[in-house]
Amino acid sequence: MKKLPVRIVVVLWSVLVLAAVGQAVTEQQRPPTATIGAAADVEPPIGKDSVKFLVIGDSGTGDRAQNETGAQMWKAHSIFPYDFAIMLGDNLYGSERPQDFAAKFERPYKPLLDANISFYAALGNHDDPNQRYYKNFGMGGKRYYTYQKKDVRFFVLDSNYMDQDQQRWLQEELAKSNSKWKIAYFHHPIYSSGGRHGSEVDLRSIVEPMFIKYNLNVVFAGHEHFYERLKPQKGINYFTAGGSAKLRAGDIVGSSAMTAKGFDTEQSFMLIEIDGDVMRFQTISRRGKRVDSGEIRRIPTS
Amino acid sequence: MTKLLSASLAFATCLSLACGKVDSAQPRGVAGSPDPANATAPALAPVNNPTVGADGQPVNAQGAATLEFKKRVDAYLKIHNEAETKVPNLKRTDDPKEIADREKALGQMIMTLRANAQPGDIFAPEYQPYFIKIVQDDFKARSAADRKAIVSELPAKMKVDINTVYPTTLPLETFPPALLNKLPDLPPELEYRIVARNLILRDVKANLIVDILRDVVPTIPS
Repeated sequence: MKKLPVRIVVVLWSVLVLAAVGQAVTEQQRPPTATIGAAADVEPPIGKDSVKFLVIGDSGTGDRAQNETGAQMWKAHSIFPYDFAIMLGDNLYGSERPQDFAAKFERPYKPLLDANISFYAALGNHDDPNQRYYKNFGMGGKRYYTYQKKDVRFFVLDSNYMDQDQQRWLQEELAKSNSKWKIAYFHHPIYSSGGRHGSEVDLRSIVEPMFIKYNLNVVFAGHEHFYERLKPQKGINYFTAGGSAKLRAGDIVGSSAMTAKGFDTEQSFMLIEIDGDVMRFQTISRRGKRVDSGEIRRIPTS
Repeated sequence: MTKLLSASLAFATCLSLACGKVDSAQPRGVAGSPDPANATAPALAPVNNPTVGADGQPVNAQGAATLEFKKRVDAYLKIHNEAETKVPNLKRTDDPKEIADREKALGQMIMTLRANAQPGDIFAPEYQPYFIKIVQDDFKARSAADRKAIVSELPAKMKVDINTVYPTTLPLETFPPALLNKLPDLPPELEYRIVARNLILRDVKANLIVDILRDVVPTIPS
């Protein structure tokens, strides 16, 4: 008799949890709509002097999905004022005539460009390497490059063509970096639960030993047209964010043991804040819903 | 020159390891391999392996072939550089039209300067058997899914020709890094790419196909 209230509490708690899970599943299964809601789910940054940036991948379609997701990025900016954006490749699909740069990049992100938000692009397999000369992609005329934002060193790789020059360069740049945070981004995910592509094992065999040796913290990749946060692999945090315009609905293999969180029913982008030893992330859908969030704590290295 | 020689030596070493001990009395390449996949391999061109150099000293046949390939790459670079001087400079720009115009102009200039280019002009015949062996050995070591993935982004029957622009509406197949590590280094102006069953050399700035080695990639069942 004494235990009855406890049982009731447990049952009620279970019902509430199941209801919440059901809600989440229902939301994920809802088909994308043309309505762009307010970015009500976006959380503002916490740190005063933090590094704040936007992550987009596989964005260059010029279609309605890109434009609507782009509009949502701008709405998110009013709450989470990111200073720059990183692009994970496939910046322009199909032809790359001047009008394609306008339709697939300049128009969808016009408010961001007007607000002087800098873009730093990686090359995807759909990208002509001559995009490196386009100033708005921030590549400085290079297929692979590095740059610094406060405590964070970014390594931007050309995973389409990982030749020995690039491997040597990466090794040297990683070795000489004393930055608190080291982040790499490139197009092809070396860990992925995608049914269409999956993990780029060949590339992994080349870059992962360097990532581990030089204590890289986080890797962002695209190529897979969905969002996936992977369980840390050998101490490194991996995100795939290749669904900022293209979408391969239902492509995340449900049985993958690598997935910490997946979202493949709608386009999405990420907002990142690096604040001291903490990296906070949130993933926002085309309709303005926050579909994932959390924080990563940097493990200090000796 | 030092870089060239060291690259050649490194590559020759790599080939020696990949091909096993070389017996100069035997034809080189994949002939005799027990792997049935080789049944579909193109016939290897006879290797013109000089065993004695111009100075009368013995020469490593693979190293000589590598040097020949490098020599042809350098010859192409001279043409590329000449073409660069004849078209406007390409600088970082806000205007994509400048990039597109420049790419086109450079491509046309190179096409003009190499009006009589033929397959094998850069992929030196002396070296072709090694390319074939390297690519085929690499593919044989991969899983079926991996082999398929390497060629999955492009139409299986996509046609390419020398001295033509790489189709601007099609993606570039990602080149497998492990395979790239086995091939001779190229200068930044050039890159290897796989198109259908062909290995091509692509001029990066001009988006131009400058040489083709056909039917190198083993047939991949769909």
